[in-house]
Amino acid sequence: MWIRLRRPLKKVYNCFKPLKYGFIGHKWLCTSPCVAECVPALPTASRLTVEQAVKLWTGHFQQRGVSEPHLSSQYIIAHLLGAKTLEGIGQDRLAEFLTQEQTEQTWELCSRRLTRMPVQYVIEEWDFRDLTLKMRPPVFIPRPETEELVGLVLTDLQMKQGTGLSEETSFRCLEVGCGSGAISLSLLKSLPQLRAIALDKNKDAVDLTRENSHSLGFQDRLEVHHMDVMRDADIIVSMCSPVSVLVSNPPYLFSEDMISLEPEILRFEDHAALDGGKDGMQVMRHILTLAPKLLSNHGRVYLEVDPRHPQLIQQWVEESVEELDYLHTHRDITDRSGVNQTAICLLNNYIFKTFDQEMYSY
Amino acid sequence: MSSRLFVNLIFQVTGKVTWGTSGRPPLFTVPPVSLAHVQTAGKKDYIDLPVLNEDELDEQFVRGSGPGGQATNKTSNCVVLRHIPTGIVVKCHQTRSVETNRKRARQIMREKLEVTYKGEASDILKNKKESIQRKQDKRKRANENLEKKRLFKEALMTDFKPGDDRG
Repeated sequence: MWIRLRRPLKKVYNCFKPLKYGFIGHKWLCTSPCVAECVPALPTASRLTVEQAVKLWTGHFQQRGVSEPHLSSQYIIAHLLGAKTLEGIGQDRLAEFLTQEQTEQTWELCSRRLTRMPVQYVIEEWDFRDLTLKMRPPVFIPRPETEELVGLVLTDLQMKQGTGLSEETSFRCLEVGCGSGAISLSLLKSLPQLRAIALDKNKDAVDLTRENSHSLGFQDRLEVHHMDVMRDADIIVSMCSPVSVLVSNPPYLFSEDMISLEPEILRFEDHAALDGGKDGMQVMRHILTLAPKLLSNHGRVYLEVDPRHPQLIQQWVEESVEELDYLHTHRDITDRSGVNQTAICLLNNYIFKTFDQEMYSY
Repeated sequence: MSSRLFVNLIFQVTGKVTWGTSGRPPLFTVPPVSLAHVQTAGKKDYIDLPVLNEDELDEQFVRGSGPGGQATNKTSNCVVLRHIPTGIVVKCHQTRSVETNRKRARQIMREKLEVTYKGEASDILKNKKESIQRKQDKRKRANENLEKKRLFKEALMTDFKPGDDRG
């Protein structure tokens, strides 16, 4: 799964002293000896305060062209000190000296970041809404925009709960492409009556989702299956239906855009979790085709997509999937320009045999 | 893909997401009926905090330019919230979740607004003062006890009768 660095970093970055003999523990960097030689030397004489360490590594990251140098430094060092962010560390603690062990750990983790490994993989965890989840390459790291997707699903499901329509059998949701389990586990946390099924075609993702589920105590309410929505459609339908909600953050990038992704993503994350084919809609179409067979009446599909997709999806669904009704596009609120962001598509499922006039207003 | 700038840009958004708002006029009336309650640390009673009107809030996310969603892995999720009528600004980067930071920013904003609107009568300020006062009293009592013990010990060491030790 790992992509080795083919071009020795030494050729590019030559401003650091060679490693001192006593440098400890570089299992990750052993795969790329050139990097190990370029790591900034561990301070042996003087000790650093928390603040100084953050500043020092911000500088190192900047020099090496590592993105988000200050934030990376902050997150890693805060994590070592048991906090989530630097803001969570009191002012007094910032002026305290790091112990020898903490210094060594700082060097080890920050050195990993030098290889452009995402911070989430470096510290092996990240937060999603009110959960802390384990992270492990190459399983896709949950994006902040997806927190909004979960918020939307929750709003709808909570409304449904209120109207008493959540019978035992149908208060279930299915997630396609669960990755680390962020979406499903978030929903389970907020809705105690919900049961969820999560699928992923990548075995590492399945394992990680199960691990996170166990850590959070949700293993009795979450089934995780190693399945491919494109190949195992029939099995999925027979195993999972009916569900009230089908949710997914499917790979939706356009194949031609894959090449210009930042190194953090290209080198470390599973490409299959990102590449949606020529028009970015390959996996989506499979999900939408399957949706009517999976969903109960008035069941809904929630998809996170590229901003260029909603109209295309609407057209395609009108032509190809009778039972699905395109409901709404929600633009993520963090960028008003409408250019660089995601969109969330909601579709409603109608089973024509039991069609009735009732509709949820959105 | 759009060309990427190497400068951090701040995207400005006027919050339109409903956050349990009640559409009240800017100056809240005391005490509104449906105020949510917040318990402060160590206090048994509840404090009435003002409800926020999302239309009065200006929210910024320090995000940087470039594509969003799957195409990027930015870890910046700091939220900057500004209350337009009063100009109060709250910056929150307490957690690694942008949703949680947004909620906390609003919570802090509500506390700040409570102090601003109520001034001296602010429950939050009162609680703070009481907490400081309690700590001072505790320290004073602890010191007095130490002093008593010290004098008692001294009395035992010398030939003075016990009980004759108050200074």
